Amino acid sequence: MTDHVEPLFSRPLLPLANADDAELTCAAAFPRIAAAGGRASVVHVIEKAGGAPDKAGVEQREEVADELFEVARRAADDAGIDLHTDLRFATDVGDAILDAAEDADATAIVFTPRGGRSWWDLFSGAVRDQLVRHSDRPVVVLPAGADDDGDAGGET
Amino acid sequence: MTDEELAKDLGPLAALTIGIGTMIGAGIFVLPGAAVQEAGPLSAAAFVLGGVIALLTAASASELGTAMPKSGGAYYYINHALGPLFGSVAGWGNWMGLAFASAFYMTGFGQYVVTFLPVPSLVLGGITVSAVKLVALAGGLLFVFVNYVGAKETGKLQNAIVLILLAILAVFTVFGLLNADLAKLRPFVPPDKGMSPLLPVTGLIFVSYLGFVQITSVAEEIKNPGKNLPRAVLGSVVIVTLVYALVLLTVLAAVDNSVVAGNETAVVDVARLLIGPVGAGAMLFGGLLATASSANASILASSRINFAMGRDRIVSEELNEIHPRFGTPYRSIAITGGFILLFILLADVSTLANAGSVLHLIIYGLLNVSLVVMRVSDPEDYQPDFRVPLYPITPVLGAITSFALIAFFADTIVLLAVGFVAFAMLWYAAYARTKATKQGILGKYLLQQSEQLPDAAVSAATSVQPDGGYRVMVPLSNPESERDLVSLAGSVAKANDGTLVGVHIVKVPDQTALESAREEYDFDEADRLLEQARADAGELGVDIETHTVLSHRSFEEVFDAAETYNADLVVMGWGPDSHGSPGRAESAFEEITHALPYDVLVLKDRGFDPSHVLVPTAGGPDSDLSASIASVLREFCDAEVELLHVADDAAEGERFLREWADERGLGDATLTVETGDVETAIESHATDASLLVVGATERGLLSRLVSGTVVMDVVDDVECSVLMAEQSRTRSIRKRLFG
Repeated sequence: MTDHVEPLFSRPLLPLANADDAELTCAAAFPRIAAAGGRASVVHVIEKAGGAPDKAGVEQREEVADELFEVARRAADDAGIDLHTDLRFATDVGDAILDAAEDADATAIVFTPRGGRSWWDLFSGAVRDQLVRHSDRPVVVLPAGADDDGDAGGET
Repeated sequence: MTDEELAKDLGPLAALTIGIGTMIGAGIFVLPGAAVQEAGPLSAAAFVLGGVIALLTAASASELGTAMPKSGGAYYYINHALGPLFGSVAGWGNWMGLAFASAFYMTGFGQYVVTFLPVPSLVLGGITVSAVKLVALAGGLLFVFVNYVGAKETGKLQNAIVLILLAILAVFTVFGLLNADLAKLRPFVPPDKGMSPLLPVTGLIFVSYLGFVQITSVAEEIKNPGKNLPRAVLGSVVIVTLVYALVLLTVLAAVDNSVVAGNETAVVDVARLLIGPVGAGAMLFGGLLATASSANASILASSRINFAMGRDRIVSEELNEIHPRFGTPYRSIAITGGFILLFILLADVSTLANAGSVLHLIIYGLLNVSLVVMRVSDPEDYQPDFRVPLYPITPVLGAITSFALIAFFADTIVLLAVGFVAFAMLWYAAYARTKATKQGILGKYLLQQSEQLPDAAVSAATSVQPDGGYRVMVPLSNPESERDLVSLAGSVAKANDGTLVGVHIVKVPDQTALESAREEYDFDEADRLLEQARADAGELGVDIETHTVLSHRSFEEVFDAAETYNADLVVMGWGPDSHGSPGRAESAFEEITHALPYDVLVLKDRGFDPSHVLVPTAGGPDSDLSASIASVLREFCDAEVELLHVADDAAEGERFLREWADERGLGDATLTVETGDVETAIESHATDASLLVVGATERGLLSRLVSGTVVMDVVDDVECSVLMAEQSRTRSIRKRLFG
């Protein structure tokens, strides 16, 4: 760190929640990573209840993971960058993302705001706050698709 | 920790409490009043009988669960073993059964709340909604909401709730025993009714034994399922049965029957008599916890069943969309919630209990049948860690008792059950049959055994197979050969009542991403080709579906597509520009062709004309496929079939060919026997023929095509079209045609 500072986008980690989120985040981040000559890591965390039934089945959420990794792979192909995918199971999504960043020696954690209604934050706003508060590396929030306001649109 | 360990984080206690938590609500806190009113102390026997029936099925569920620890539990096993027709019955039954049960638990919840909270009833447009129902609706909404937003704390709360409940009931039972007077249990059998209420009451209280199946619906999350799943499933049934019987007996021995009979919150009043206000408060608290945890667990379990149904296309996959923020299957939960609220509004508490019971009894019966099917057909990948003791007595008894108990319900409930099964079967026939892709073990087994089984059984098995049933895939690439391939493939599809799948594979250069190709490419040509294929199939009167596939590969993609679209037969052209140059992945083909899961026909097209078909044969399995194709062409294209056999000895050759032809229903074809060189004989007879059909003489027609080595010189030497046939290594259309 003393000798040189690595560019933010040389080895960033992108936490992805679902296929739509992957679409937006990759579209926003990959061109910047390509421009920096970097490579990307994407992580998806399947939240476990840790000894109680989960809110959705593991097989069901593994399908979601396959789908979003596929989106990321295609986007990486398009942008011509290397991609590393990481699927984790954890009781705390925020911690798992920070661990993934550590393991990948990420230069930054990059995500796009996920929109949605404000009351949703009552039940699921913790991850974003945790990343912002507890990360020991830069956290970059990219605007998602300039002409795409709010709700993630359908695929073309 | 490995991912596997992290994904499977339900320990033995957690698994056990799912079962107990779902079950214990109803038996103790809601049903004693109604049961004792009907049967007096005999109702304790009804609880034991219900427990025994549940235990028989629990043994089957345990074995199936350890063999297939999958999301969806009972539905998954039944669909897997008996096929999607019964899968539809089981899926809908389990789903709606849980919705009825949840409505019942919530109504019980309402009964407890109104004892201490003055809730007015509501009159809406002339219809009165009672206070109990109002609370039930509010409670239902609350628990649907909790699952909708996926508060993960509720799952952990379940463990605590179960332990608190067991503690409360233990204290309650001790007080009961201190005041017990065995004389109060006499007469055990109601003198006016005798034993007759036993079975109807067992049916009513059976809703108290639904929970153990819910353990299997989260089987994939259980740590070390081989050990923990049977322990949790069987253990929860045994514990709950003992608790029910013990609590009920002590209650009836401690107070007069009249305190309990017809009393919706009987245990609260009994506790008030025995322990005082603190006891009453504790039991009231217990009743709320128990009914709430039962409903909560049931709503959760039903979304797993929806997921498994959606995966098999019994219902739309749209239903299983995961919420972008909450990570919950919110649509499934919302719709289940809608059903629960509707059922609360429409039915009274005993109808809800009976409906929940009867639908689960159907599933339990089918579950036992599934176990027998799995044991009899014994597929290779069926390796349960736990095996049902005393097989086949246990599952047979389980099936008989489960189905038989249905007969003792009130007529309206039986009618509801029958109507429901009819609905689920119609649903399969009208909606799911065209979509469902999975074939049951039973169907496969019957079709395999078709020689030994009566025709009726085989045809019944065939007719309920998903229409995914027989699928002929035609990769189409050039317009000249399209018509020939479609008419050939169409004839075979028609002969098997199957579907034609036209696939156009567009090769995209490696540098271009598939996604951008999808936007930029011009698909007019592809559309025209597929349009033409649809028109030609229409002329033949064959169902066709068409797909355009973008791929970086072309030839190899054919085999991926065949897997994707579940082909039983692939009919493809072969020529200089048919499917691009075969790729570099030859070793992968070795693998494909080693265990080829479908039949393959390759047409070297020099103008498709099936008027005179020449089939050279030397016997052997691959010539069977040639024979099947020849008879299809004879039937649908009026082909004249000539069979050719080259032998050392003419007389012996004739005998062989006669027998071979008769066995394959080609006895009336022209039989030609030659001596001398095989290839010369074929070539000379081919001059008169319009189509030559050759079976792969040895394994590996496809791999040879791929590697570019010539299959047989004749293919290039003759002037007519040549059809090369390679038979599947795993199944064959010969069985379907001649079975």
